[in-house]
Amino acid sequence: MSETQEFVRACALADVPDEGALGLEIGGLPVAVVRAGGEVFALSDVCSHEEVPLSEGEIYDHTVECWLHGSCFDLRTGAPTGPPATEPVPVYPVKIEGADVYVALPAS
Amino acid sequence: MTAVQGAVEATAPVSRLHAHQAEFGVPTGREEQWRFTPLRRLRGLHSADVTRGAKVTVGISVAPGVTAELAQRGDPRHRTAFEPGDRVSAQAFNSYEEATVVTVPRDTEVTTPTVITVRGDDSSGAAFGHTVIRAGENARGVVVVDHQGSATYADNLEIVVGDGAALTLVSLQDWAGDAVHLSHHQASLGRDARLQHAVVSLGGDLVRIAPSVRYAGPGGDAELLGVYFADAGQHLEHRLFVDHAQPDCRSRVDYKGALQGASAHTVWIGDVLIRPEATGTDTYERNRNLLLTDGARADSVPNLEILTGEVVGAGHASASGRLEDHHLFYLMARGIPMEEARRLVIRGFFGELIARIAVPDLRDRIAAAVEAELAKTTTAGAAA
Repeated sequence: MSETQEFVRACALADVPDEGALGLEIGGLPVAVVRAGGEVFALSDVCSHEEVPLSEGEIYDHTVECWLHGSCFDLRTGAPTGPPATEPVPVYPVKIEGADVYVALPAS
Repeated sequence: MTAVQGAVEATAPVSRLHAHQAEFGVPTGREEQWRFTPLRRLRGLHSADVTRGAKVTVGISVAPGVTAELAQRGDPRHRTAFEPGDRVSAQAFNSYEEATVVTVPRDTEVTTPTVITVRGDDSSGAAFGHTVIRAGENARGVVVVDHQGSATYADNLEIVVGDGAALTLVSLQDWAGDAVHLSHHQASLGRDARLQHAVVSLGGDLVRIAPSVRYAGPGGDAELLGVYFADAGQHLEHRLFVDHAQPDCRSRVDYKGALQGASAHTVWIGDVLIRPEATGTDTYERNRNLLLTDGARADSVPNLEILTGEVVGAGHASASGRLEDHHLFYLMARGIPMEEARRLVIRGFFGELIARIAVPDLRDRIAAAVEAELAKTTTAGAAA
């Protein structure tokens, strides 16, 4: 994507659980902010299979697992590592400034 | 549980899908009835924190011989047996201010369609509606409900077809791109009554129509047709339920849809219940989905619950797929260019169903709307 994306403040870094996820809605867009292995990631908070918030799932091996049917999504690419999901979920760039997490969302 | 209670319960369906409830909880999205619907796009229609106060404009072009009136909420002349089908339906039923009541009097035959136009001008607030369509004993009538414009709209449509009557009802969802519309259509068919019910869903951001049929006497015949065309980002959902609780009734469900563009999503749920007392039932339901591009998704779930074996027929069929290569090959081998061949096949796919809608004026309009959608495919194809 060539469009310039603007970072918006998502949440306080302290609100993101260690090896866990925080579900947010930013500008009407559901976003899961995930902390894994000391790094912070952001991805769409809706499973690409059914309407399930990924932020309610568990984090392991740099994936977030959808609790309903067990598809895991890579935190870096959004790609599912197994069925039933076949489509990736969007991932968003993250930057951390001070104590806050900023996420760049696509211009709608 | 006593034996007597057990005996009564034996006539109840095993599934709880259609259990009528006094109160519906706010759906979470995990319920069977809601699991395909993106609740975040309902603009609160399913919850208490909905922004009320918006209006849709209802206009009626009444055919000679038919009566139409507006009834205030609580008008005793229009006491109703309507039972809300889900949370949104209940909210609409508790919130509407004025019901539109169209009556085809008994023993009257009217071939001119009565057209109810529901137009929205603003989708920022929610509007609620209620419509009652009655065909008296041995009446013949045609009613069209035409939805246009922008709205966040939840409504219920009650259809009462009297003994020996025949009614054709077409509901067009020709909304602008930002509309959200959820509707329950509840039909009751008297003895030997006939209903042709057709749903055409083309516009809107999210449209969810739930037609249901109940038989109040034996010999009823319901034909439920549907045509839908989903473009990128659209969610079009149709949930049908035919409740065979009377002997010797017939039902036919036939829905066809096409999808194109990223995140175009259609859902078709076709439920038929044949209760133990419904001997001699003849039912068949069919759904076909044509996926014209990558990135579109069609969910199709036919369910049939049969509690008596004494039926004439009970079946269902569902298929979702892309255009058949050999259909295109056949046409292209005869010198027809690819795009034209695609259009011909899709035109044929819908044409067979559109031709069965018993309102000639509408058939041309629906066919033209499908053509307009197909023109978009070509443009999309050229851009790709």
